[in-house]
Amino acid sequence: MAKQLGFLVDSERCVGCHACEMACKNEYQLEPKIRWRKVYPLKEDSFGLPERNFMSLACNHCEDPACLKACPVIAYTKRDDGIVMHDQGRCIGCRLCMLACPYSVPQYSETRKKVQKCHMCAERQDNGQKPACVSGCPMEALSVIDAAEFSMAMSSKTLPGFPDTAATKPTTRFIKPSVGVQVRRDR
Amino acid sequence: MTGTQVFRNACPRNCYDTCAILSTVENGVLKKVDGDPGSTYTRGRLCAKGYSYTRSVYSPDRIKYPMRQKGRGTGNWQRISWDEAYTEIAQTILKIKKQYGSTLPICLNKYSGNFDIMHYGIEGMLTSIGNTTRATGTPCWPAGIDAQTFDFGTIVCNDPEDIVNSKYLIIWGANPAWCSVHSMYFIKEAQRRGCKIVAIDPLLSQTASKADLYIQIKTSTDGALALGMARYILDNGLYDGEWLAKNSKGAEEFFGYLKNNITLEWAAEKTGVPQHVIETLAREYAATKPANIWIGYGMQRHTNGGQNVRAIDALAAMTGNIGKSGGGAQYAQLETWGFNYHAMIQKKPENSGGSGDRAININNFGAEVLNAKEPPIKMLWIACRGPITQDPETAVVKKAFEAMDLVVTADMFMNPTVEMSDIVLPITTTFETPGVNVSYWHYWMSLNEQAIKPMFEAKNDVTIAMELSAKLNQMEKGSCTYPTSGDLAEWVGKEFNAGIHKQFGISGWQDLKKGPAKAKGSLVAWQDGKFRTPSGKYEFWSEEARKYGHYPLPVYVEEMKPESKYPLRCISPHWKLNIHSQFQNLDWMDTVNNAPCLEIHPSLAAKYGIRERDSVKMFNDIGYIVLPAKISELVPPDTVAVYEAWYKGKKFNVNYTVKAIPADMGKKATGSPGIAFHDNFVNIQKV
Repeated sequence: MAKQLGFLVDSERCVGCHACEMACKNEYQLEPKIRWRKVYPLKEDSFGLPERNFMSLACNHCEDPACLKACPVIAYTKRDDGIVMHDQGRCIGCRLCMLACPYSVPQYSETRKKVQKCHMCAERQDNGQKPACVSGCPMEALSVIDAAEFSMAMSSKTLPGFPDTAATKPTTRFIKPSVGVQVRRDR
Repeated sequence: MTGTQVFRNACPRNCYDTCAILSTVENGVLKKVDGDPGSTYTRGRLCAKGYSYTRSVYSPDRIKYPMRQKGRGTGNWQRISWDEAYTEIAQTILKIKKQYGSTLPICLNKYSGNFDIMHYGIEGMLTSIGNTTRATGTPCWPAGIDAQTFDFGTIVCNDPEDIVNSKYLIIWGANPAWCSVHSMYFIKEAQRRGCKIVAIDPLLSQTASKADLYIQIKTSTDGALALGMARYILDNGLYDGEWLAKNSKGAEEFFGYLKNNITLEWAAEKTGVPQHVIETLAREYAATKPANIWIGYGMQRHTNGGQNVRAIDALAAMTGNIGKSGGGAQYAQLETWGFNYHAMIQKKPENSGGSGDRAININNFGAEVLNAKEPPIKMLWIACRGPITQDPETAVVKKAFEAMDLVVTADMFMNPTVEMSDIVLPITTTFETPGVNVSYWHYWMSLNEQAIKPMFEAKNDVTIAMELSAKLNQMEKGSCTYPTSGDLAEWVGKEFNAGIHKQFGISGWQDLKKGPAKAKGSLVAWQDGKFRTPSGKYEFWSEEARKYGHYPLPVYVEEMKPESKYPLRCISPHWKLNIHSQFQNLDWMDTVNNAPCLEIHPSLAAKYGIRERDSVKMFNDIGYIVLPAKISELVPPDTVAVYEAWYKGKKFNVNYTVKAIPADMGKKATGSPGIAFHDNFVNIQKV
């Protein structure tokens, strides 16, 4: 099976601190409004009892990327390791990819008039380093996996609130938050 | 400078984690920051705030040059030169000294915006002009410090990296997931190794969300829970009699108090925690060894906060968990702060008037400034501090600013404190100036190298002190003793001494250029059994406490309760994207979150006809704020939560409603009692 790199997001370890998102911004000095990675709060009662849980998402480097199909100028390519790359040089800023992506991943820069997105720190990975978000997470809640052969009993392909995965086959995998015992005065 | 260089920096913020940073500089420009893997505490990782540092350095919002405002709060700022600023400040200082016969009408309010050791130079500058008035104390944590000072003799905590050795951990009124995220890693690691994590908190915090057991205690009743547990432990013989006999004073009196005054029924009623839960918690805590308690600063911000900390300390002591790896009653430590304070300790000029500095309570700053007589306070110097956003009773603090002849604020951003000043001095970021940093929690020390040149016309606090001294001496020879020149990097070296070298196993401060250093021993608090109390033992019975007007034993002191007019408690804890008035103002943070909100329980919201995102006015007799509602079962039904922060361009400030009610303790160790920030009672209405 061909290699398919993806992110493993451990939402039990994630404390929603946004360090991953800022580590990314720091690494690439992104414009203030551009977010290659975003930390989404999950609905507090998603797993029964109310809790503060999150889903940290960047590009899902889909097996069947909708952005790539929608792009009229072949700005998107998929590397052999599965990383979906976007070429700023080819991009004409038409934003069709933004309409196509179910996960709101591509970001449009008003100053550059072009789209940009997470490339899973392909260059860093080529140099044997981990993506900035992965190495920046203080909780070690993020890692890179080969989704083609990844299997973990506790993992899942989705979390409540994550869009339908059928169309593009995203490679992000999740570990669900576990809910502790709560002694509360209201229930 | 050309090419790529990597510098060592340290995050100087008022935070447990005090991270070691590696800064990448290309052609004199700070390109990015990374965590320094040399620290086993931060493990090469920063936090969201740390990773935003390039943006604070290059923020378009930075104050670029000195400015004078025509009319405080008008926004009518004019650029002035540093010389004009120094001249006006020096003239005012000398005029005040002449008129009042001393410099006591000049008041310094400097605290935790930058804990770099060199920044104590600002205190030194004020000392150098004569006797002055000082905002004294700390808003953050003094009740707990006094409590542990009565019990142990001072504050010392285990190395937080030792948490992995705990088999049972109670996180009591602390939220490390937001406020000490690198410790949260060790908590999760302990949990993975089989440690049970219990979070006791009125709010279901981010930390509580990751715990095995969350206990929603009624706010400010923590002492009652601890005493209920202590009674159970006593009745069931689960205490460590041997440890008590060897190491403690007053255990018998404490046990007598428990037998005569504490019942589990009472504790359950008081705390809202069912009796069987208290019993299980007490049994598990006492029977699992080693068991650890992390005592948060949030839980001591009450009128009985210090007393509650003493009751929790007592639990740790009676079960023999003190002095043990994996055990303890962790609060904080100042063991690694033994610097020379060379920048701070200065001589006063001769014949400058007055017989000593005058202390006023930092925690009731506005009122104390206004009430100061003989002489009155006429000039404020604000550094590393944002009283207008962070102090209680904002309206009173503003009045105090308005009553001044001159307000000088040194800052990086145009925040509400700067807006109420006459002169603003642009200050360097941590990357633009050398220094050295230690933590009040972990045992690492990090050098802070100058990585880039100061931006714009910004200057370091010590440079300002030197240059102002030159101006004062030019105007009146001998009026200021502060050195008028000096190499800042050399000055960092002057903070070190043999004790520090030995403690950290370094031969000189330059060793830190190779990486951060960790204290070499004493990483388990009180392992030697030498307590620093008058008796040399752990003191359940503290005459020192009695001397300061408290009960000698950790008895329960009634918590503050709401009155009918203001039936709801408002808790105003820290938010994850800021430290007080820092960071949340940056556009990088604003993109993630730009909306303060009021967390409110669905049943309470229904009672007031409030729906999600409705505008809610929260008010009491001193002020109000209007906020969108966030309906949530993460808060209890009788409490609302508003996270304190300064948002650029927003009128939001929770302290409009917070009264300067003193916490019970703090006077002994810090000079002033703390603030009962979380004893804030309010009402709400939909608007």
